[in-house]
Amino acid sequence: MGWFSSSNSSETPSATSRKDRQRCWDSRDAYFACLDAANVVKPGDEGTACADTKKTYEQNCAKSWIDYFNKRRVLAEQQQGVLTQAKTQAETARR
Amino acid sequence: MSARSLRLLSPLLRASPVPPSSRHALSAHHAAQRCALRTASLPSRTCARRGYSQTPDPKLNPTQQTSSGERDRAAIGVFTPKAAALFVLTGIGLYFYFRNEKEKLLEQRRKEREDQVVGRPQVGGPFSLTTHKGEPFTEKDLLGKWSLIYFGFTNCPDICPEELDKMSAAVDKLDEKYGQIVQPIFISVDPARDTVPQVARYVSEFHPRLVGLTGSYDTLKATCKAYRVYFSTPPNAQPGDDYLVDHSIFFYFMDPNGQFVDAFGKASSVEDVVARVEKEVARWEKEYGRRV
Repeated sequence: MGWFSSSNSSETPSATSRKDRQRCWDSRDAYFACLDAANVVKPGDEGTACADTKKTYEQNCAKSWIDYFNKRRVLAEQQQGVLTQAKTQAETARR
Repeated sequence: MSARSLRLLSPLLRASPVPPSSRHALSAHHAAQRCALRTASLPSRTCARRGYSQTPDPKLNPTQQTSSGERDRAAIGVFTPKAAALFVLTGIGLYFYFRNEKEKLLEQRRKEREDQVVGRPQVGGPFSLTTHKGEPFTEKDLLGKWSLIYFGFTNCPDICPEELDKMSAAVDKLDEKYGQIVQPIFISVDPARDTVPQVARYVSEFHPRLVGLTGSYDTLKATCKAYRVYFSTPPNAQPGDDYLVDHSIFFYFMDPNGQFVDAFGKASSVEDVVARVEKEVARWEKEYGRRV
């Protein structure tokens, strides 16, 4: 498996292609939307709920990119949680 | 004990009984009284200056007249009119000398400041890389044009393309206003995978004038060091490996002398970049009468 084995897996994988990048991002967004619907933060914890979108995601994106996006999703969720908590605390303190 | 030495001691002897032989060892009170009486016959300054060891009456002690002049000179010391004039002249001379020196120093500092904006960081330096067309490219090729330089790699997941799109959009806007005075440049930090054809494919999708530069690991490492860019590509990475490169994601704004002006991060918008470049181009135009 190359970096981009979507339609032309025999070709040299091309992260240099804007089209391929966009395809990867789109399938990632689809997968993450599915995770959101299933209330799962960490990719991989969803079981078989998002098998379809996950397959496309893994087909369209390089392994290193998938690791990166997955890690960033978890970090972003954590950050969101901290921000929400901080906001709640600030509101409590104002009262 | 002579009359003169007694007279010098007179302040000390005031409390003690006056010996009959020392007629002149008088108290200050007496001296003042005598002065008042003698003002008609003697210069008044003698009285005013000498509070209590009074000038003896010349009629009573004629030898004291000459010794009084000698003592005046002794009291003045070396501070003669000539010395005073020399002192004042030297003072004036030194004053003007140092003022002149200070002016020279300030002038020199001002000239130094003209060459560099205060606080401008030492970013940039000599480098020798290859363009996406296979031509050599050095820091000399930055001269005579404003440049926006981004360090990244073609396998970059999302940040590099976003930043390069932003840079390209800014260049388009600046082209509309000024013509082609801003040169966008992409420098790869992934020498193992970013070959010349790979970089050529990559840059063609962003901006027609975007110059993609690559080179060997060592030349890229040296270039990044000169530009204060961090990157984490392992030196032994293979072209087929699947890895990401952690790197600084600023793009640099350099002036037509190849000097660093500013850096833009993820927080800067296209408008921010355009506004900053416009401001700098205006400043340049005011200073040099041209835009590049």
